[in-house]
Amino acid sequence: MNYLNAVLSQQHAPDKLPAAVRTALGKPLRRAAALTQLALIGSLACLPKERRQRPTALLWQSSSGPRLETLTLLDEVCNGQAEPMPYDFLASQPAIAAAQIQPFLPGLQSATHFPLDTEGEANWLLLITLASNWLEEGRYAQVLCAHLDSWADTATGHWLTLSTEHLENSSASLHIRSTNFPAAHSDIPNFPAHLAHWLQQPTSPMLHLQSTATRTLAVEFARI
Amino acid sequence: MKRPVYVTGSGLFCARGNSPAKVAEALWAGECSNNKHRLGEREFPYFSLPLAEGNWLSRAEQAVTGVATQLGPLPADTPMFIASSSFQIGHFEETRAKQGAPFDLPLASASFSRQVAEWMQLSGPRYNFSNACISGFSAIDAARSLISGGQIDDAIVVGLELANNSTLAGFAAMELLSRTSCQPFDARRDGLVLGEAVAAVRLSAKPGTWRITGLRTGLDAYSSTGPDPAGGPIARLAVDCLQEAKINPADIELVKLQAAGSPGTDLAEANALRQIFGNQQPLLLSLKPYLGHTLGASGITELVTLLACLTADRIPATAGFKKVDPEIALFPMVDRSTEHIQRALLNLIGFGGGLASMVIERHR
Repeated sequence: MNYLNAVLSQQHAPDKLPAAVRTALGKPLRRAAALTQLALIGSLACLPKERRQRPTALLWQSSSGPRLETLTLLDEVCNGQAEPMPYDFLASQPAIAAAQIQPFLPGLQSATHFPLDTEGEANWLLLITLASNWLEEGRYAQVLCAHLDSWADTATGHWLTLSTEHLENSSASLHIRSTNFPAAHSDIPNFPAHLAHWLQQPTSPMLHLQSTATRTLAVEFARI
Repeated sequence: MKRPVYVTGSGLFCARGNSPAKVAEALWAGECSNNKHRLGEREFPYFSLPLAEGNWLSRAEQAVTGVATQLGPLPADTPMFIASSSFQIGHFEETRAKQGAPFDLPLASASFSRQVAEWMQLSGPRYNFSNACISGFSAIDAARSLISGGQIDDAIVVGLELANNSTLAGFAAMELLSRTSCQPFDARRDGLVLGEAVAAVRLSAKPGTWRITGLRTGLDAYSSTGPDPAGGPIARLAVDCLQEAKINPADIELVKLQAAGSPGTDLAEANALRQIFGNQQPLLLSLKPYLGHTLGASGITELVTLLACLTADRIPATAGFKKVDPEIALFPMVDRSTEHIQRALLNLIGFGGGLASMVIERHR
């Protein structure tokens, strides 16, 4: 059985992100793109110090992707006479976030970035299903699932931490079901905020998450 | 893994041809010519798709529909897993150049995948992966996990990397590109040669010729642009992968190398191979001198190519390797072989610290 050990939603003004990173780390993180900063703040908030060494996977989706960095890169490539600044290119590559995060999360063994293709939709169902499969196989001790967006006016992070361990702060157990639940919650970027609300004020014994594209698969959350 | 996962179909469009069999034939014949991609005042060798010049979207459509045709008819609701490191950035460059001013990017960063699905006439769930050079194996990892877990029965996994200046310029700015050719493990290697490709595999719970018996993705945080030169993280990941496949290093008969001709990454991979295989190295093969480094598509492109070569029992030599680097001191295949390979290991080492290893095994 798998457990939900953290549910977290964060929102930052873009210009306040570096300060939030400094608070989380006790020092600044140099040359980190906005998505990397968001990933770092969120993952450290989800995992207490004593769990940061444990084998961990990070699965993170994004609608915006490295949007501002991509626009900068396009400006340099399309307008400039010279090649782009290496850092602008690096910042446009979301996969690099994992390498910058691992020193602060030594247990991080794998990270996958899932860019989204439809505004307002998310892949929580996929991320949680993969996390559940991998936890059951014993591949990782815990999996961080996230949705991170970096827009011009706001930076948001929504997080779930899953583990096979029932911890003191575990708030729900979860199961993958091969059933259609007509009243299921839809798969949207800020699903963790809705999940957190349900955990605090449950309106039903269980909450189901389902995607419009996959009606035969659902995640079932049961409050502990 | 609860149930085995097989490769039951494939499609490929790359610099060497427009089907897995044609590409395998071209490699057997030793074809490894490339063309040039101009960037400002500099020119770089580049493995382009053999398509007439046209706008970016029309080239993309030709390549994607060509691969879809090779896969044959598919149920429209087949889940699709799409891997790319650049998606439609070449289209953005064209649009930006036409408008002459900044423009609004689509709100969803991988919106191009919807177009790819439409070209392939697939309307089921779509999942996108952008993990630099290991994107393809990340996508296969996810699809395989869902099939093995019984959540789906079949999947189409597509790798897609099409020409654009942004990626080339980014790598050029970091001095990671060769100005001459791709020379894996060679003493004179001086960098990557990029290329474009669209490739796809059909994965299924139903048996096929090849089974994926191990797959692991990992992380080497030594640096954002290159792995630990000692190769420790690469070796540990490959050993994890062999353990998942329940085999020993001695059971591997061939390694499809990452080896792209990069001075640092080739050395790290060689050091990892020594830790895994010691003095009993299996056959070592790099496909990049024939195909170029197709980045986010490379995992699937090289898997499809390798399976086509192995199925035909025609393994090409590693073009571009002539002079041994004493620091590497490993020898990729320099002669073609008709050996019947039962098991192979495929390595990917990604820009940004991503690592991936896969074991494939002949099923019948």
